[in-house]
Amino acid sequence: MRIVVTDPDSCVACRDCEYACAFEHGGSLRREASRIRVNFYPDERVCVPLTCLQCADAWCVEVCPAGAIERDPQTGAVTIAAARCAGCKMCLLACPFGAIHFDAVEEVARKCDLCGGDPACVRACIADSLQFAEVDEIAETRRRSVDARLRTTLRRDREDV
Amino acid sequence: MAIVPGGGTAEPAATTVKTLCRMCDDRCGIEVHVQDGRVVDLRGNDEHPWSHGRLCVKARAGVDVVHHPDRLRRSLKRTPQGWQEIALEQALDEIAERLLQIIDKHGARTVSVWKGEAVGFAQQEDLARRFIHALGSPNYLSNDSMCWVGRFIGHKTVLGSWPVVDIEHARCVVMWGANPPHSRPNLTQRITAARRNGATLIAVDPRLSAVARRADIHVAPRPGTDGALALGLVREIVRVGAYDREFVRQYTVGFDELAEYADSFTPEVVEEETGVPAATLRSTARTMCAAEGRLALYAGNGLEHHENGVNNIRAIVALNALLGTPGKSGGALFEAPLPLRSLLLYDELPHTELGPLGADRFPVLYDVRQECHTMTALDAVLSGDPYRLRAMLLTAANPMLTNPDTARVRDALAALDLLVVRDLFMTETAALADYVLPAASFMEREEVHTHHEIKVVTLTRPVFSLPEVQTEYQFWHDLAHRLGFGEYFPWDDETALDRWLLEPTGISLEELAAHPEGMPYGAPRRDGPAPDRFASPSGKVELASAYLGDLGYDELPEYRRPAYLETPDADYPFVLITGARQLLFAHSRGHNVARFSDAMPAAAVEMHPDDAVALNVEEGDTVEVTSRIGSVRAPVRVVASNEIVPGCLQMTHGWADSNANLVTHDDRFDPVSGFPLMKSVEVRVSVPRSDGAGRDEGGGDGAALDQGGGVHGGSGGGPGGVRGGVA
Repeated sequence: MRIVVTDPDSCVACRDCEYACAFEHGGSLRREASRIRVNFYPDERVCVPLTCLQCADAWCVEVCPAGAIERDPQTGAVTIAAARCAGCKMCLLACPFGAIHFDAVEEVARKCDLCGGDPACVRACIADSLQFAEVDEIAETRRRSVDARLRTTLRRDREDV
Repeated sequence: MAIVPGGGTAEPAATTVKTLCRMCDDRCGIEVHVQDGRVVDLRGNDEHPWSHGRLCVKARAGVDVVHHPDRLRRSLKRTPQGWQEIALEQALDEIAERLLQIIDKHGARTVSVWKGEAVGFAQQEDLARRFIHALGSPNYLSNDSMCWVGRFIGHKTVLGSWPVVDIEHARCVVMWGANPPHSRPNLTQRITAARRNGATLIAVDPRLSAVARRADIHVAPRPGTDGALALGLVREIVRVGAYDREFVRQYTVGFDELAEYADSFTPEVVEEETGVPAATLRSTARTMCAAEGRLALYAGNGLEHHENGVNNIRAIVALNALLGTPGKSGGALFEAPLPLRSLLLYDELPHTELGPLGADRFPVLYDVRQECHTMTALDAVLSGDPYRLRAMLLTAANPMLTNPDTARVRDALAALDLLVVRDLFMTETAALADYVLPAASFMEREEVHTHHEIKVVTLTRPVFSLPEVQTEYQFWHDLAHRLGFGEYFPWDDETALDRWLLEPTGISLEELAAHPEGMPYGAPRRDGPAPDRFASPSGKVELASAYLGDLGYDELPEYRRPAYLETPDADYPFVLITGARQLLFAHSRGHNVARFSDAMPAAAVEMHPDDAVALNVEEGDTVEVTSRIGSVRAPVRVVASNEIVPGCLQMTHGWADSNANLVTHDDRFDPVSGFPLMKSVEVRVSVPRSDGAGRDEGGGDGAALDQGGGVHGGSGGGPGGVRGGVA
């Protein structure tokens, strides 16, 4: 299956993804409605985009007393059926990544649903930091990037000698 | 989908039209979804090679803009009783008649056109230039008197032209005064691609811009001191012997003079002047050299709005020659443009004897771009010197928010005998007009666009049309025919014009229309030696410019200290940058989109935390920023200590309620480009005690605060003021 893969090393915290998610799921640009969140730490110059990884063994599904969280057979996304959600927030507590938030207006839990298979956040990521990728591609992409960085470092060490 | 001339769409059903976004100048590929003649959604076009389907948040608001309830739908005429709706044909008749009267009485040169960018960006400029020259006046004005041309001059005078910066294939990417995530989104993808292949990224900016967050080295000079930094890099690269000797010998003039001039810019001197630590300068030079010529050096708009802007840019551009980037993949590429037919009449009807406004004062600006100088033109309206400008046809520009010194802009526009404004909305500028005409948006027009960086040409498609709302071409065409020079606008419509423009290219309009993802043009990109001849007077890269020397300017890219450092004024202890781009807005555009204003409701004064402490202000407090010419109020945004140089403030322009250009100068210019001082403005900051009171203008408690919070303050052991050590 494909998931939204985040590459913090490319993220510029422009927040296009947060705006796109909020827009896709309600038509506003209120970032607090976004299911993907980007944390930016200026002192360290670190950007951390975080979203649901659609766990194979999803604790949020296990813990939901209303049976409102299930896996979309088409996309593999773990989705919340808002109509059945009781607003108990157990899923928020269960998620090890904090990828579920609570919509205080509608009183339901919200999480990434992969937009039905074409995630809006990825389409809005102008830095190419987010990708909608097959799980087995992820390691290969990361390896290529680390390889390139290492090569640059080694080349520079050689030149400094 | 068939488009019926002058009417709605022929097929009411849902359709998709592939075209380009024009919410900013990056022009991403989009698919526009139309239902019953209305745009209902848009998404990225995965097949367009510039944007690869990715779109920033501005793009989706295109839907909100084109069907905005406030869009102008009818022509308006100013009357003593207020705006009166009139038929388009009548408006054109009346405008033509008044123009003929003005031309008859005062001469054609008292008429001008002013190109803005809210409706388009391709043929729009050349059509306006063609119209005004056919009318008999040389006075073409545009937003380019303060954007882009400063950098064009900087590149042109050194390299002969402005090359494509091959970011994707670079080993080192330098973003100098540019923040692509907010201004040219798709450069960000390319920076990521380069970094994934091992490239290093250097960001030079007094602010920690979005792109600087990812930089291996963030270099933060004081505003306007970039030339000193660049000369320091020249010295360091020469000193360690890492410059490309073969390139310098074969392709440059003026190397010895430049090296000698730069020799006094030691890392320690540069540190004093710019605030950039000597060690950072050395590591920056080392990182640049390690790219072995595969260095993509992009000079941004941040460099232009300074008194020494062009020289600073020239010094930066000169690094290309030292590092041997020209011709190299990942460096500076000199690509032939798509050979479209030219609409320009500068050979046929140059009209230079009529005195293009600003051409005497800023000869290089006119010589290299045939650009008149808007600030000189506004002066001419008020002063009659060298002659009184009386009429202006302004299309989709909003100088009331984007030109410096708003008060003077208002006075000048109001003093015109005739001001005609075409736009999508009743802007602050349109509100001053005698006639306001509704303009077609980018979704109602067909234009030929080139993405020169990737050598792809794309035809934009009309998605819908509105009655009484003209395309840019139709407006110039109809007016020209009324004024008696219709022969210069013989094409029936944009389509016929596009066909004529494309003739020499070997690409037909039909082919282009069949390829909404664009078509490649020209030879594939090469990786080879530098061009045999650069397009400069000597045919070489000019590290010293005899052309500029002959005009009385510096031959070498000499560094001149900005006034706020050279002659500090205790009454104005802060230095203000205006115009850093914001994600949601393009200049004055986008502020009327409710989704955007909900997400970002107000302007902000960005401030270093030490300065906030010294001024005793907190995030969200309203402050008043005052320069020698005016004041503006906005809430403070306290940023992290590495997000802005201490003593430096930033306000983005384009906000009607907190208009940064109330404090920028329209009488202090870069001597070469004529660009106004908008990014190193001396200001003071005060805290209004309450509404209507406390507008201290130099006395009282606020002034005491000013003293405490100034760049000299340094706030006890802090990182020191902007002027630390250089006074």
